[in-house]
Amino acid sequence: MALVVAGLSHKNAPVELREQLALEEDKLRELLREVAAGGAAREAVVVSTCNRVEVYAVADVPDEARAAVFRQLCRHRGVDQAAVEAVLYTHVEGEAVRHAFRVTASLDSMMIGEPQILGQVKDAFALAQACETVGPTLHTLFTQAFAVAKKVRTETEIARHAVSVSFAAVELAKKIFGGLAGKAILLVGAGKMSELAAKHLVEQGAFPIYVANRTWARAQELARALAGTPVPFEELDAALAGTDIVITSTAATEPVVTLPRVQQAMQGRRSRPLFFIDIAVPRNVEASVDTLDDVYCYDIDDLHQVVDANIRERLREAQRAEALVDREVAKYLARLGDVEVIPTIVSLRERLEEIRAGEVKKTLARLQGASPETREALEALSAAIVNKILHAPITKLRESSRAGASRSWLDLVHELFALGRK
Amino acid sequence: MHAILQNLSILAYVAATGLSFAYLVQREELIHRLASVITGAGWVAQTVALVALGHELGRPPLGSLGEAVSVAVWGIVLLEMWVERRARVKVLGAFVLPVVLVFSLKAAATRQQLPEIAPALSGAWLWVHIGLALVGIAAFALNFAGALMYLLQERQLKAKRPGKLYYRLPDLETLDRLSYRTLALGFPFLTTGLVLGVLWAGAAWGSVFAFDPLALLSFVAWVIYAGTLAGRVAGWHGRRAAYFAMFGFAALVLTLGAGLFLPGKHG
Repeated sequence: MALVVAGLSHKNAPVELREQLALEEDKLRELLREVAAGGAAREAVVVSTCNRVEVYAVADVPDEARAAVFRQLCRHRGVDQAAVEAVLYTHVEGEAVRHAFRVTASLDSMMIGEPQILGQVKDAFALAQACETVGPTLHTLFTQAFAVAKKVRTETEIARHAVSVSFAAVELAKKIFGGLAGKAILLVGAGKMSELAAKHLVEQGAFPIYVANRTWARAQELARALAGTPVPFEELDAALAGTDIVITSTAATEPVVTLPRVQQAMQGRRSRPLFFIDIAVPRNVEASVDTLDDVYCYDIDDLHQVVDANIRERLREAQRAEALVDREVAKYLARLGDVEVIPTIVSLRERLEEIRAGEVKKTLARLQGASPETREALEALSAAIVNKILHAPITKLRESSRAGASRSWLDLVHELFALGRK
Repeated sequence: MHAILQNLSILAYVAATGLSFAYLVQREELIHRLASVITGAGWVAQTVALVALGHELGRPPLGSLGEAVSVAVWGIVLLEMWVERRARVKVLGAFVLPVVLVFSLKAAATRQQLPEIAPALSGAWLWVHIGLALVGIAAFALNFAGALMYLLQERQLKAKRPGKLYYRLPDLETLDRLSYRTLALGFPFLTTGLVLGVLWAGAAWGSVFAFDPLALLSFVAWVIYAGTLAGRVAGWHGRRAAYFAMFGFAALVLTLGAGLFLPGKHG
């Protein structure tokens, strides 16, 4: 029996093919039942997202299980199996464990560290459990994969640092202000992106919100949506003086927020920085505003630059995460291997102990009148010999299991010592 | 015994400095924990060393400037450990420990000569003068680190090209608060220490400054810090306050350097 994973992902398969293969829940149920009924796999979990379709299975012949599952899948979706086979990747045993850990920990995702995949794998696992296609092997594997994913998230920063412009703006605001609780926001102009950024800021505790717009009705509408206060466009100066974060997105062709305006707003603010998030193109905030102390001004290009840097930082963290996964895979295999060889070690000991005890008994029966010391010495001598003989084979068994190659050794030991049923 | 312990503590500070830099580059929790433990161990060794030295001398180990700098190091490390936990600025060590290192190497270099204290130099007031000034210096070392971190982070945010430090350094608000609080802590101690020194010098030598370079330079440092604090109260903050914190600390370092290198009454 072997653990095997076969599938295709955004790394090797075009989106058209992935779209064709992606399954809804009830189709997935059907597939799992067929796989179980077909008998090619003893256990199976199918993960199907828009970026990957893959099957984790426990089977006697991995290739058969793989072919059977994808035959069913292709039949369901009416896809040519040859085209799918051409891009399938297959991993068995240790590599399959590593793959499961990497996928669940979001190291194999299109955007490294994206949080959805963990939930998707959990759903796939729950579905397979409901269909009763999860046995002890996949249960252990996925339980551990979820634990490793959690560890990767907390011990590395692969999921930190925003990869969207609006979240990047929130993070910048936090680097400037510390907490955002009680920081006033001013929206100049309306737009989907500025509304989204404002919402993220509000989620972090920013309050109150002012909305200024050339069209008073639009200002009122947006203010209502964000639980803010509309401000007449003519009172922009007063509003500027009282806010901490300004999001601009008007369609104006000339800068709305000019240097003198900001200089005036900065007067008498004491230790309150002013942060401009300028989403508009052309820009609404005059570039020279940036030269002022305590004024931070990010236009859309700057925000994209920050996002790029964030992605690079995630990739750096991903290297650390890979090392962590490596360690976890090694630990997992060692534990698994020990579990596998322990019954053999126990029966091997029992077998030899049985022989030893029998022979000692026979000898003592012939040695009538032997002193207790002699009996004890005989027991000790025979036990020592057995232990000495067992030492090397047991060590070897443990080593082989850690190296992931216990099977042939187990068979050999069973043969050599006539241990009977495995 | 105290010499061995002193050396051990310096070794620990060297190791902790290296680890703190490593932590700045590589966000590995284990490195930070190791750096904290080694810093703590160094501090304990130094505490025992100072107590042993004081016991041997039969007076506080503040009789020479070398001894005093060593005590200042002790205070800086203690304050660093405390502030790091309080303010949750885990990278603080990388900015404070290098200062600690320079000071303790300086102190170690002058440690061998244990001059007899001039008869004029005695009395409880003297120890109070030195002790208070040292608490001030310890606070200002933290003030310097906070200001330096502020300037680095502010530069990152203004440049809009986030580098490694952008991710590793805390937010501007935290850093500005850190330097304000350490300034507010250090200033009264430095002031009282200096006033006592002036009064005491007047009584002992009949002259307030007696052309002592250390006394003159410490007055310069005091003026800078007094100006910064006044500015802070009037609403200064951020970059301007941070620059002044740097000037102030430079003056303090010069003060101690002058005491160690130039002939004067502080010896």
